Amino acid sequence: MKRNTWQEYQKEVADDNYYYLRSCIRQNFFPGSEKAFVRILREELGRNLYDDPAHTSCTGIGYHSDVVLHDTIMTVVARQFALMKESGFENAAVSCITSFGIYTEVLETWREFPEVEARIRELLYKATGRELYKPRNLAHTSDIIFHHREAIRQRAKHLLVNHRTGEPLRGVEHIGCHYAKIFPKEGIGGVEFPYVLAGMIEAWGGQVVDYPERRHCCGFGFRNYLVQANRGYSIANSQKKLESMAPYKPDFILTNCPGCGMFLDKWQYTIAEIEGTTYGQDGKGIPVLTYEELAGLVLGYDPWDLGLQMHQVDVEPLLDKLGVEYDPAAKYLMPNGRYIGRPEPATVNMGVE
Amino acid sequence: MGKYYDMLMEDVRMREGMKACMNCGVCTAVCPAAEFYNYDDEAIERLLRSETIWYCGECMSCRPRCPRGNTPGYVIQALRTLSQRLGFFVESEKGRQQIALKRTVGDNILRTGYCLTPRLINPDLHQEQGPVWRWIYDNDKEVYGRFNPTYMQEGSGALRRIDDASMAELRRIFEVTGGAAFFDRIEECSDRKARELGFDGANDEYVMYTYTTNRDDHH
Amino acid sequence: MENKDKRVIVVGGGVAGMQTALLLRERGAEPIIVEREERLGGKLAGWHKLFPTFTPAGEVLEPLRGRVAEAGIEVRTGRTVEEVTPTGVVLNGGERLDGAATVVCSGFEVFNARIKEEYGYGIYDNVFTTVDIERMMNEGRVRTAQGNEPRRIAFLHCVGSRDEKVGAHHCSKVCCITGVKQAIEMKELFPTAEVYNFYMDIRMFGPGYEELYRKAQLDYRINFIRGRISEASQTIDGWVQIKAEDTLIGRPLRMSVDMLVLIVGMKGGASNGAFARSGGLTVAPNGFMQPRDAFFGNVASERDGIFYAGAVTAPKNIGECLNEGAAAAERVAAYLKL
Repeated sequence: MKRNTWQEYQKEVADDNYYYLRSCIRQNFFPGSEKAFVRILREELGRNLYDDPAHTSCTGIGYHSDVVLHDTIMTVVARQFALMKESGFENAAVSCITSFGIYTEVLETWREFPEVEARIRELLYKATGRELYKPRNLAHTSDIIFHHREAIRQRAKHLLVNHRTGEPLRGVEHIGCHYAKIFPKEGIGGVEFPYVLAGMIEAWGGQVVDYPERRHCCGFGFRNYLVQANRGYSIANSQKKLESMAPYKPDFILTNCPGCGMFLDKWQYTIAEIEGTTYGQDGKGIPVLTYEELAGLVLGYDPWDLGLQMHQVDVEPLLDKLGVEYDPAAKYLMPNGRYIGRPEPATVNMGVE
Repeated sequence: MGKYYDMLMEDVRMREGMKACMNCGVCTAVCPAAEFYNYDDEAIERLLRSETIWYCGECMSCRPRCPRGNTPGYVIQALRTLSQRLGFFVESEKGRQQIALKRTVGDNILRTGYCLTPRLINPDLHQEQGPVWRWIYDNDKEVYGRFNPTYMQEGSGALRRIDDASMAELRRIFEVTGGAAFFDRIEECSDRKARELGFDGANDEYVMYTYTTNRDDHH
Repeated sequence: MENKDKRVIVVGGGVAGMQTALLLRERGAEPIIVEREERLGGKLAGWHKLFPTFTPAGEVLEPLRGRVAEAGIEVRTGRTVEEVTPTGVVLNGGERLDGAATVVCSGFEVFNARIKEEYGYGIYDNVFTTVDIERMMNEGRVRTAQGNEPRRIAFLHCVGSRDEKVGAHHCSKVCCITGVKQAIEMKELFPTAEVYNFYMDIRMFGPGYEELYRKAQLDYRINFIRGRISEASQTIDGWVQIKAEDTLIGRPLRMSVDMLVLIVGMKGGASNGAFARSGGLTVAPNGFMQPRDAFFGNVASERDGIFYAGAVTAPKNIGECLNEGAAAAERVAAYLKL
């Protein structure tokens, strides 16, 4: 797709020595992605990353559901930064878009309202005895993968090319609202044409396809999904996106935010069950990937080690196009071959006969 | 200005979010909630008691577009906080849902250190998660254990059990910042409202009622 | 009085500059026009018809050009001015032109619509600016990127004006009536097309403007929707999907059009900073040059010997620029005691 300006929106991304801040949603739905991130950084790229057992949730989902107070979340964030400093790290690597938005916003709030920073400094000390610290560098983990995208390409086992036709695979992206809508200058490529995911797809040989609702929210809306009565909001917005992207026949959806990825995956199932509509080719769903999963496939990682069996929409059509060798029978088995049952089949997986 | 206005302006999100509006509509144009719900204008107290302030999904799509540098989403956050402080939230169906959010996400944070954990996402209450999620839920130790040997145990990694010292710090943060008192406030107001509505306090039955009830006049 | 004591450097050869030079010549001065383009005419040179009368731009431009030529006024085209002082200017390359006074008529810049990234100008094929539309009208062929006659056209007001996000708090004043004019022209060209103007306020400040707006609504059935378009994107068939709120009914709307026209505003001249530094002048917070006084000194700068005329000090229409040319010539003549 054409874009004018991504080069004008550059941010500094630390090259090494990351303090890893994990994500509630990514751990729940894509634990293989966090595992792959650590593996890529340490084993493929030889970088230093600290996975601190003492850090907690940023409480962002509670904050955006309005049950966690502003002062509370700012102090929780201050504790994470203090832990980072005490561990000898200065570069935060944030695994979650909600958290990334919050960390950025907290730093911005402290900058703009010094009296708030002073209050949080006191609260942090009172609660934990720790000292407030501000990171030297704050990046989302997708920024870090983007930063290392060429190094990943050099180690690639599979490029994003249909191995039968030689055509580039077509990816649509979904960025996640809190990546750059809150602070456009903090997003690679800015808010309107973010380049963080597109840059990975292009670096690894694929083609990025624009679609009219690219910038629209996935529909999480915090309380609008978390409370059952509100879920109509969530599914309606995801459906708007899926309908907008389907005519472009994407081979995959790439997501920045673990929540968005989960919703675009799961709501395809629900829509298929409720009204029989599917958005992918052959009457199946469109596979949805996190950027760690995409990087892992490019690097030749086993799809089941990446956790792709935890998706509701089958990823096998994409694996087949990529020419990835995998054991279909091992999908729901444990690594030692133990059978623990398998999910019931669903409309979105079966396709139209 | 009035009492509620002054209270709102104590919140930095209100000062940051609301400057001068020219009512151009760019925020509503990209608002996922506006397309779904029926928004209209109301005065502050009516707002604080209304359904309207609870529709926003806090996606912040409004923020980058505003030609006057406002952030309607921040204003919503400030209004919601005040509505709960004043106890007005229980006067609307959507506001009453705060007890469900507190009991799930809120309590889970203080119990586990995470906003959500797999056991919180019960497939029976989350049919939309589909059969793969049910399979994961039924086999969580095996499935998560495959990605992290410290699943629900101390150590580092995904969904590890967070150590007691860290949990104690987290709880103290909630104490000293007013976060715990805010939880109590949500409980207390919900309990009063639950009795008013004929429940035996804010019990599981009431929480489930707030979690599932949906009038059809929001749209 | 020697000739050099009557020499006045006119910076910019648009309508204000030409008018200033012509009236200075009538007063016996020796004006010299420096113009950065290859021909005189300024922004008007690219325009098709003028509001509110639909007068062809050439009917204003050609007489001015003809009279400048007839009067034998010296013109340096293809040259930019890098420094201004009361006693002359420095051109690109370092050449200095001496004079007894300087009139800065360097006009404005058209807002670069690419900066409003959410509208996709330069990315989505069927997003245009008002400048593009005038050009297409001059070429006699207004078509979508696919070569079709447009069927549904949206005009968006205030692009690059009244917008903190692009650092422009000011109103560009002439865009409202330009939008109405172009909407009517589109309707004349394509009577069956639907035309929508998205606006926040319609500011009809000149004689005949409000009447034209009324005519656009009543006779041409142009739809005026009160709301700023929030974003545009391209659909699979090459149309442009837009999102806005109809703020008068309080509902979001999304629709697809085959032409989106961004009514681009005016911003201060790119050289204003250099002029301010060299001339001891001030660039106002809105990016235009600050005149000496808002009532009695609109064509005077803060510095004796440097004068202004036209859109260099604020957004103005053609008539106002011509009047300012006359007023500036009057002030310069008094200054030179002609």
